[in-house]
Amino acid sequence: MILHPAIVALVLVSLLLTMMSLAGAFFGIRIIRRWDLSSGSEEQLVLERQTYLISTILSYVLVFEIGSLFLFIYTADSMHTLFTGAMCAAGTLYVDSYGYPALLLKILNVILAGLWLIFNGVDNRAYDYPLIRKKYAMLLILAPLILAETVVQTLYFTRMNADVITSCCGSLFSLEGGSLPSDIAALPVKAAMAGFFSVLGLTLSSGLVYRFTGRLGWLFSFSGGLFFPVAGAAFIAFISLYFYELPTHRCPFCVLQREYGYIGYPLYAALLVGVICALGVGLLIPFRNISSLAGILPRVQRKLTLGCLLAYLTFAGITVLQMVRTDFILLD
Amino acid sequence: MISQWIERQRLFIDFTLASLLRRKGKNLSLFAVYALVVFMLASAMFLTQAMKREAALVLKDAPEMIVQRLLGGRYDPIPMEYVEKIKSIRGVVSAAPRLWGYYYDPVIGANYTLMVPRSDAPASEKIVIGNGISRTRMIYRDDILSLRGTDGMTRSFTVAGEISPESELVSADLILMAETDFRGLFDFPADRATDIAVSVRNQKELLTIARKVADLLPDTRPILREEMVRTYDSVFDWRGGIMIVLLLMALLAFAIFAWEKASGLSADEKREIGILKAIGWETADVMIVKAYEGLLISFFSFTVGILTAYGHVFFFSAFLFVPAMKGWSVLYPDFRITPFADPYQVAILFCLTVMPYTVATIVPSWRAAIIDPDAVMRS
Amino acid sequence: MIKLSGIIKIFNSGRTNEFVAVGGVTLALEANRVTVLKGPSGSGKTTLLSLIGCMARPTSGRITLHNGLLSGKRFSGIGEVAEVEVTSLPERFLTEVRRQTFGFIFQQFNLVKGVTALENVMLPAYPLGEKHDTVRRRALDLLEMFGLKARAAARVEWLSGGEAQRVAIARALMNDPPVIIADEPTAHLDSKLSVDFMEIIAKLKAQGKTTVIASHDPLVCGAAMVDRVIAVRDGRIDGEGP
Repeated sequence: MILHPAIVALVLVSLLLTMMSLAGAFFGIRIIRRWDLSSGSEEQLVLERQTYLISTILSYVLVFEIGSLFLFIYTADSMHTLFTGAMCAAGTLYVDSYGYPALLLKILNVILAGLWLIFNGVDNRAYDYPLIRKKYAMLLILAPLILAETVVQTLYFTRMNADVITSCCGSLFSLEGGSLPSDIAALPVKAAMAGFFSVLGLTLSSGLVYRFTGRLGWLFSFSGGLFFPVAGAAFIAFISLYFYELPTHRCPFCVLQREYGYIGYPLYAALLVGVICALGVGLLIPFRNISSLAGILPRVQRKLTLGCLLAYLTFAGITVLQMVRTDFILLD
Repeated sequence: MISQWIERQRLFIDFTLASLLRRKGKNLSLFAVYALVVFMLASAMFLTQAMKREAALVLKDAPEMIVQRLLGGRYDPIPMEYVEKIKSIRGVVSAAPRLWGYYYDPVIGANYTLMVPRSDAPASEKIVIGNGISRTRMIYRDDILSLRGTDGMTRSFTVAGEISPESELVSADLILMAETDFRGLFDFPADRATDIAVSVRNQKELLTIARKVADLLPDTRPILREEMVRTYDSVFDWRGGIMIVLLLMALLAFAIFAWEKASGLSADEKREIGILKAIGWETADVMIVKAYEGLLISFFSFTVGILTAYGHVFFFSAFLFVPAMKGWSVLYPDFRITPFADPYQVAILFCLTVMPYTVATIVPSWRAAIIDPDAVMRS
Repeated sequence: MIKLSGIIKIFNSGRTNEFVAVGGVTLALEANRVTVLKGPSGSGKTTLLSLIGCMARPTSGRITLHNGLLSGKRFSGIGEVAEVEVTSLPERFLTEVRRQTFGFIFQQFNLVKGVTALENVMLPAYPLGEKHDTVRRRALDLLEMFGLKARAAARVEWLSGGEAQRVAIARALMNDPPVIIADEPTAHLDSKLSVDFMEIIAKLKAQGKTTVIASHDPLVCGAAMVDRVIAVRDGRIDGEGP
């Protein structure tokens, strides 16, 4: 295994995250079984106090997961010199079969942790903790996923072999080849643009409708959630070309490097914020009828909607600005 | 709403600062240990990363490809006639023979690298030596260095000059000499060279040309510069990683220490929290104060640790690590490493220090925050 | 008013040192009155006081805070209500109710050491996130009301017994609570200061505040402005009257 300091740091962080989320899940099981708000018994008081601990733990989990996600990508990127054929993170992640799964798990866990915190925040604002059991049930899904992420990430690092020749993003995301990345890259540009802008438009318009009238919540949430993978695919299919100004360079990772002004970070951060907010709205809709949440839920959902719209507009704004600014012409 | 939140945080931070200053003794010792841990890890990391960068910079000037000859799987001097053969391959811009070798000096038990430079070679019986040699053998310009040849005869060389200190990392043990002296000293065959340095027109074709060389001259092995860069990179990374793994023990001790400090509330502190809870602060409020405590301590300790490590490595040449590193070679270069610290390293150090500290203090903070105000009533 | 029905508080339940502090109390406290809970130490009056003041949750029974106390107060999440049952409120809401409804004066004053008098008075307002200047001014006004403006910047360790007591009262009034709760307030005071204290209580009563005091000091129980004296013994109510 390559004993890079960053790898040591990432493994350490993952272990800490696993420890924390398993502890949270463990306490959560007890709460699911024994919670009874109307009882004044000491056990209930102990459980109530433990909810503070779990909330705090999960807040830190989210922050560390986000940090770990970006550190992971950056590390993969900076290690490309160690592998023949790799020019950026795309190649490094391809070195063994655990690289991309680790990345996808990390992204998933960031989104789930964010959703949990939204759920938790709403539950804590109501005077009778109406969502408490569901909340900790959700934790029972998140904790194993974080464990899985740690395992896969460790496998990725331990299986890494410097003698393996890997592909560079140019070939991974090229138009030939039968892999998924190249299939995405090979999407006809006009269709990809149409898809991207139409989902964006649907999200923005349903979001505005929802924000001001409280209707079409499901549509907005679904559309907002859909936009995340669509934007990702769109990036590979055509947006990247405008940033790199090369007809063959479609890598989603190179845009995080210095020579492109690190623009990738705000782009992907905006996408993450947007998808968490959009899915958060959908997550809360089934609970609108609970009396104790009646005053809180709509306000929270409105704020989430606004957050999503701003985030996705930022993404679209940066993208369109680049498309307009650059001399690179894709369509006549 | 937002301004209310901001005011709240401002008031809490005020309170936290005042509270930290009220317990100077306890917090100073925590700060000292914390900063020390950051200092150690940061020094290790800055040193290895900077050296990795230096090596890469130096290797930039290395030949793109070197062709060595193998005899029975082991290294053998390469025939000079191979130079023309390599030059004939399409895409090769130049091919030049290199003469260099190792010389073991029993006086100080060190290996020198003897080399005939491609241009400006010293005159006959004159040598130019690296700083490591001149320091260790205390030989300077116009002094005489005696070397024993393969034939058993001692040859004397006058030091014509020293290699400039900027490249000490690679030149500390270097001796430059004339070609005739070199061949005489080692009894090196006239029709052979140590290896051949090759440069090509198009970088992308390097691999193809290397293959062609191997095909054309089956007893040779081409070595690419990027392979060397990669090897050095992974060695330095590995060394840095090993240091950090060793320091993980220190990190674990630190985490336990942090836990103890955070848990060990004096009776006064417990009372204070109880009073706060009694006058209307919630558990969440106390946890926020505790979180700010951790944040402020982390911020100061991390900053001080990083800055002192930076100074230690780049201005004082990592003098604390020298005893451990000296064992790696006799001729330790005395060089000023170019300062190199980027946000990436800071992020890694953050993950290795602040994160474990924060995790170690979550449960103690919580236990402090849930203190019953009831207990205050009955005290 | 404050209504308690069937309040029971058990500590360490299920273990060998199980202890019933309050064993079934039903009580209705009226607004704008001064009520004294009289009883020897160990009688459970301190526990009862902390239950009334929403500082602890009863093991069983119900506590309700009625109209009159709550008018004008808005609790987020509960809204404008005429009556709040506090027994099953989670800590976050209980604390908010307590913060806005009750002001506590403790036996030992319980001021934070190492901090000035002014800051001590300001502390209850920190979680509410009002502007620093507003909070500061209100605290200064309160200290002035008790003639302590000159001592505002003094550390609490340097205050005399009487001054500390008045700072404690000022702190209790910081969030303008309708109910004042005092636990053995005269335990560490001489007769003059005890009389001064009861005069302050009379003034607060005139301002419309409700007061509940736990004490076995005859000076307190027999004071003129006291409307009701309830005897507490072994965790139960043992009768009324002086």
